[in-house]
Amino acid sequence: MLGSGLVAPELDTRWFDPARLNVLVGILLFLGFLLINMIRAKAKGTLYVRPIAGLSALDEAIGRATEMGRPVLYVPGLSDMSEVGTFAAITILSRLARRIAEIGAEINVPCYDPVVMTIMEEATRDAYRQAGRPDSFRPGCVHYVSAQQFAYVAAVNGIMLRDRPAANIYMGSFYAESLLLAETGNTTGAIQIAGTDKVTQLPFFICACDYTLLGEELFAASAYLGREPVQLATIAAQDWAKALAAAAVLAALLLSALGQPALQAWLRVS
Amino acid sequence: MRRGPLLVTFLSGTVIAALFFIPHHKAQEFNSTLLGWTLVVYAFALALGSLSLWENHARKIRTRSEGWPYSLVTLGALLIVTGLGIWKGVAEGTPVGRIYNSVNSPLGSTMFSLLAFVIASAAFRAFRARSPEATLLLLTAIVMMIGRVSIGELMSDKLPGITEWLLDVPNLAAKRAIAIGVGLGAVSTALKIILGIERSYLGRS
Repeated sequence: MLGSGLVAPELDTRWFDPARLNVLVGILLFLGFLLINMIRAKAKGTLYVRPIAGLSALDEAIGRATEMGRPVLYVPGLSDMSEVGTFAAITILSRLARRIAEIGAEINVPCYDPVVMTIMEEATRDAYRQAGRPDSFRPGCVHYVSAQQFAYVAAVNGIMLRDRPAANIYMGSFYAESLLLAETGNTTGAIQIAGTDKVTQLPFFICACDYTLLGEELFAASAYLGREPVQLATIAAQDWAKALAAAAVLAALLLSALGQPALQAWLRVS
Repeated sequence: MRRGPLLVTFLSGTVIAALFFIPHHKAQEFNSTLLGWTLVVYAFALALGSLSLWENHARKIRTRSEGWPYSLVTLGALLIVTGLGIWKGVAEGTPVGRIYNSVNSPLGSTMFSLLAFVIASAAFRAFRARSPEATLLLLTAIVMMIGRVSIGELMSDKLPGITEWLLDVPNLAAKRAIAIGVGLGAVSTALKIILGIERSYLGRS
């Protein structure tokens, strides 16, 4: 099999793949946008971020759980630490656990991956510490279930039906289990908030949940909940990059229509 | 206290990102070695996972929580399958292989087959024509469902073409718009972690 340089990968002696120049340019531009927005955020003290209904509803969900004396079930998806969606799930859990600790509710986090479980347990413990209530952290609230997709679904559905959590929060990367989980949660009457970066699973969550974070909103959640200026700068940088991507797509489309496909070819990622 | 882990994150993040642009065979070999290390980390974490599973279910049995007999079954299965795996191996034809094929796989397939029923109940809720948007969704769904089965072609030879257009134009446009947002969000999150802006995954403040 030949590499992108038309030589076998084991004979490739190039120190840079020119076919990936577009990716490098994109990352450098994004870094530039990030830097500019960090300076802006530090100067202004904050940046405007449009309200995201799903994230605003998190407080409502925690409040409901506290009033009803029932736990909040946080399902972090089925991916390991190689997925960025899992990192987003960890950062959201960290913010959420802090609020849960502050108002004295209870959280249950069943995990699919043992590495993710270890990191989530530490992040939750730290959130309780930051909230000034380290004693309220219940060992075992973040626990391992199974690394088999449908065994995991059976276990989590069992938790939903037995413990009747007041709120089910699904954040991270999900696959075929998304609807099985969300639909079971729906039948228990829990308030349900979901967020995933898997485009194919979004319709299922939209059908079965009260609020759904669409794709990029999952990654914006941590900054949105934290409200720290530097974190908000990353959302602004993301918006600038999106505007640039839209402009590039439009320009490539127009140029291709005019018989100049060079930009379209350059934008293609190898 | 956090400087060490942050430095490790920064170095591994930048090195792995740089290796994406370097096709040199030595760089790619190094990349494979780095990825191989994750297996070692995973093996240790699996032991932690099993311990967590044990503690969780042992507590349920101790406190006689609701459904504690199921915890007994879980722990019994954990012990028996682990023991058999160590004693006889896990290949095809061994007791663990037979347990996998005759218990685990059918149970997994049973859970998966429930998807058909939950799709029907979710679709019933989603396709209620409560607003103009929901009505549009309902009509599109009807066209899609009829157009994708044989009877659709018998009703009108244009239906399959319409469904293809729905999938390839409006549906694909929306999917790509979300995918671009997801891609940028992923880059943003990765940069936040590499640059140390996002630190909550480290714990221990």
